[in-house]
Amino acid sequence: MATKPLLEVKDLKVSLATETGTVVAVDGVTFHVHAGETLGIVGESGCGKSVTAESILRLFDQEDVTYSGQVLYEGTDLLQLSDRQMESIRGNEISMIFQDPMSSLNPVQTIGKQIAESLKLHRGLSGKQARRAAVELLRLTGIPSPEQRVDEHPHEISGGMRQRVMIAIALACKPKLMIADEPTTALDVTIQAQILELIGHLQAETGMGVIMITHDLGVVAEICARVAVMYLGQVVEEAGVDDLFYRPQHPYTIGLMRSIPRIDGERNRKLHVIEGTVPSLRHVPAGCRFAPRCKYADERCLHREPPLNRTADGHAVRCWYPGIAPVEEEAHELGIFG
Amino acid sequence: MGGYVVRRLLSLVPVLLVVAIVVFSIIHLTPGDPAAILLGEEANKAEIDDMKSKMGLDKPIYEQFGIWIWGVLSGNLGQSIFLHKPVTEAFFERLGPTLSLTVIAQAIGVALALLLGITAAKRRGTAIDQSVMSFSMLGISIPSFLLGSLLVMLFGVKLRCLPVAGYQPLSAGLWPHLKYLILPGIVLGVIQAALIARMTRSSILDVLSENFMKTAKAKGVKEKTIIYTHALRVSFIPILTVIGESFGGLVTGAAVIETLFNIPGVGQLIVNSISRRDYSVIQGSVLLVTVAYVFINLIVDLLYGLVDPRIRLSKK
Amino acid sequence: MAAHSETVTAPTALRRRERRQLAVSRFLANRLLTFGAVILLVVVLLAAIAPVATPYGPLQIDPVNRLKGPSWQHLFGTDNFGRDVFTRAVYGLRISVAVGFAVTAIASLIGMIVGLLSACYSVLDAIFMRICDGLFAFPSILLAISIMAALGPHPGNVVIALSIIFIPSVARIIRSKALVVRELTYIEALHAQGASSWRIIWIHMAPNALSPLIIQSTYIFAVSILTEASLSFLGAGIPSPSPSLGNMLYDGKAVIYNAWWMTVFPGSFLLLVVLGLNLFGDGLRDVLDPRASRMKGGRRRGNKTSP
Repeated sequence: MATKPLLEVKDLKVSLATETGTVVAVDGVTFHVHAGETLGIVGESGCGKSVTAESILRLFDQEDVTYSGQVLYEGTDLLQLSDRQMESIRGNEISMIFQDPMSSLNPVQTIGKQIAESLKLHRGLSGKQARRAAVELLRLTGIPSPEQRVDEHPHEISGGMRQRVMIAIALACKPKLMIADEPTTALDVTIQAQILELIGHLQAETGMGVIMITHDLGVVAEICARVAVMYLGQVVEEAGVDDLFYRPQHPYTIGLMRSIPRIDGERNRKLHVIEGTVPSLRHVPAGCRFAPRCKYADERCLHREPPLNRTADGHAVRCWYPGIAPVEEEAHELGIFG
Repeated sequence: MGGYVVRRLLSLVPVLLVVAIVVFSIIHLTPGDPAAILLGEEANKAEIDDMKSKMGLDKPIYEQFGIWIWGVLSGNLGQSIFLHKPVTEAFFERLGPTLSLTVIAQAIGVALALLLGITAAKRRGTAIDQSVMSFSMLGISIPSFLLGSLLVMLFGVKLRCLPVAGYQPLSAGLWPHLKYLILPGIVLGVIQAALIARMTRSSILDVLSENFMKTAKAKGVKEKTIIYTHALRVSFIPILTVIGESFGGLVTGAAVIETLFNIPGVGQLIVNSISRRDYSVIQGSVLLVTVAYVFINLIVDLLYGLVDPRIRLSKK
Repeated sequence: MAAHSETVTAPTALRRRERRQLAVSRFLANRLLTFGAVILLVVVLLAAIAPVATPYGPLQIDPVNRLKGPSWQHLFGTDNFGRDVFTRAVYGLRISVAVGFAVTAIASLIGMIVGLLSACYSVLDAIFMRICDGLFAFPSILLAISIMAALGPHPGNVVIALSIIFIPSVARIIRSKALVVRELTYIEALHAQGASSWRIIWIHMAPNALSPLIIQSTYIFAVSILTEASLSFLGAGIPSPSPSLGNMLYDGKAVIYNAWWMTVFPGSFLLLVVLGLNLFGDGLRDVLDPRASRMKGGRRRGNKTSP
């Protein structure tokens, strides 16, 4: 992995204007993705993972967002591009899949037209060519009888199918990077597995980079090579997937893992719960952001913010006392690695 | 879709029955004897009785209703006592000006409303948005005859480039025809536009906050194109509803505007018939206009299916 | 496999556009509400002090001073009988407000009874709703004109005609709200406790169905004032010589080229009161029911204020 990364996010800071004032939703996030690699971004609701994803494509309205830092895509900073240049990146070089396939498709357009749209836009295909391409993409994403489906409307197909259509839209222009924002959260468990498998399969075939945003550590274990754990707008830990599961360092990461219910666990084993709730972004704690919920926090944690320290093996942790929390045999117990 | 149309048509039967009963009972709401009122104070008993039997008022009420409804169904809406001709004839003579006026007004209204509504939605929160919203607020608050009177003042006294009263049929040439309808058309159109523009703006804003707008943006569609290719069609259902309903406002507005601008249309016919106590003309005209309004709304309902495939499906 | 019982809502920031719209609309709401309230206050004040506000009577004829323009003696000028336009306009405003109030009160009360009964008894529902559908089918002014043609021009008849027009829209709103309330658990619990239906309808369901009615009634108020003015303008409302803003404008029409004040001043009063009510209604809706302001389609006769 000595090659230059496909996407490099450096110290990204995103401020959003809201009803009650400006909120710094993402504060100094740094990570990178190589071509052909899958990076997982994990965290609870409100930790800024979706904001990070949408900031890469600059999907927010210009008037209420301020970015700082860099989003380097193949060396160019996306944050510096003009609107028109950005439009030629979106859906073409980098594409995105959203969480809720029910509401993310236009209800009054046929799915064929929606897939064809970016092909016409970026590839200059004619209506007929684009339609043929749409059928192929539907076939590729495993939708049966695509010739008929292409003329149907979103309400006529199931949720899993719709997410496949979303994937087809995202793949249309053979992007080099695909961002998937909780692509399976709104789906049934059996469908979830199929969709993940599809994404993994397509990635292997096309060699694109994937950023998988999820709150589900199971998903991460299944398909990611590296993982960044986010908490309250910051990356608190980043490591290769095995490294993270076997040697988690940050108390928050450990807490996350311990809160997974286990099918094969003892019935009376108490499910671990991280104490307290995620504080509001408006009231970011001084010092370590996790300190108020961390049972190992001391004076230093409450007053001084820890930097993101990276060790030689590429494992990065934002904690004054990495590894302080007992891991038990979490990863083994999880049974994720078989 | 065919079955749906039939079902919708059937559902109109009770509505039209109630409409017919209401229209029929107009004459019986009159305090006192309609025949006596019609003939004036000098009429003697014999004349009144004669008029009564001529109007069919001497029969029991259910029989009167039976005769009347049978007449309606066979296209006979009775005789105008004042105009000495069948009501249908009097009505259809006057229909042309009203149709022209409503078509022009609705065209002005819808065009203006879409323009204003879309602009306001695109520039939400700006001064332009606020001016559009203020205009629309004024438009729904101003009575049509006040706006009309003000325009008459402006054009009749100051500008003098357009006639402020009268009417020429289409057979007299397109421009002479239009010339007389421009001012009344603008009055009605502006008021229509005020209402439709509000709905256009709010329904586009509703759609803009939906998730699939983000999908479109992530595909690389230009923000300006998104409004026309994605937002407008989805937001068209509520807009269509208002346009359909606004035909009712148009018809009632026409009654006032025709009186103000002295256009010999259906509205003026109805209004003039009030003072003449020409009940059969009032009944017949109100019935015909209402039936037309009911069918316009039915057509709008059926159009939904064309615009929104979700409705098409649920109605199959 | 979910690690947490995490909700799938997007982070707060993602709903930002909606929130901002909400913020803007709330801000506007307050402004609309206060602006509308101020206008209404002025109108009510004018109407209330009408008899002492002017030295003239609304029917007081002064043949010498016919069609005089605005002056210190006659603030709004005089009409073709030499009557003081300001006096007549203030009295006209009074009638407008009185008619509007009466119509709103009657239509709300009867509409509420019809709506609640429809929601609770399916037999009545079938009958009432068919009648409402039928009345709804009429373009509103035509129905009013027909009724007025039958009853004859008189303020009381205007109130009757307009009430008939608005009862169906109130009934529908109350009915749909009551149908929702009826399904709430606590109403079921009351049934289980053996409360009488009568008591449940009037003590428990009626107050719950009120909030949409309050908003609706400001629009009914506005539209009935406009419709009364239109009827009077057409000679089917309040008969001359009683002053009404509508028939004053009709009188003004005959002399529109030489007595602009006879049109402009009564017209402004009319616009003022309707504007005040509409602003107030919009503000009220945004405050009481922020979601309803985003409602699609919706009110039929209530917001169609263009007779």
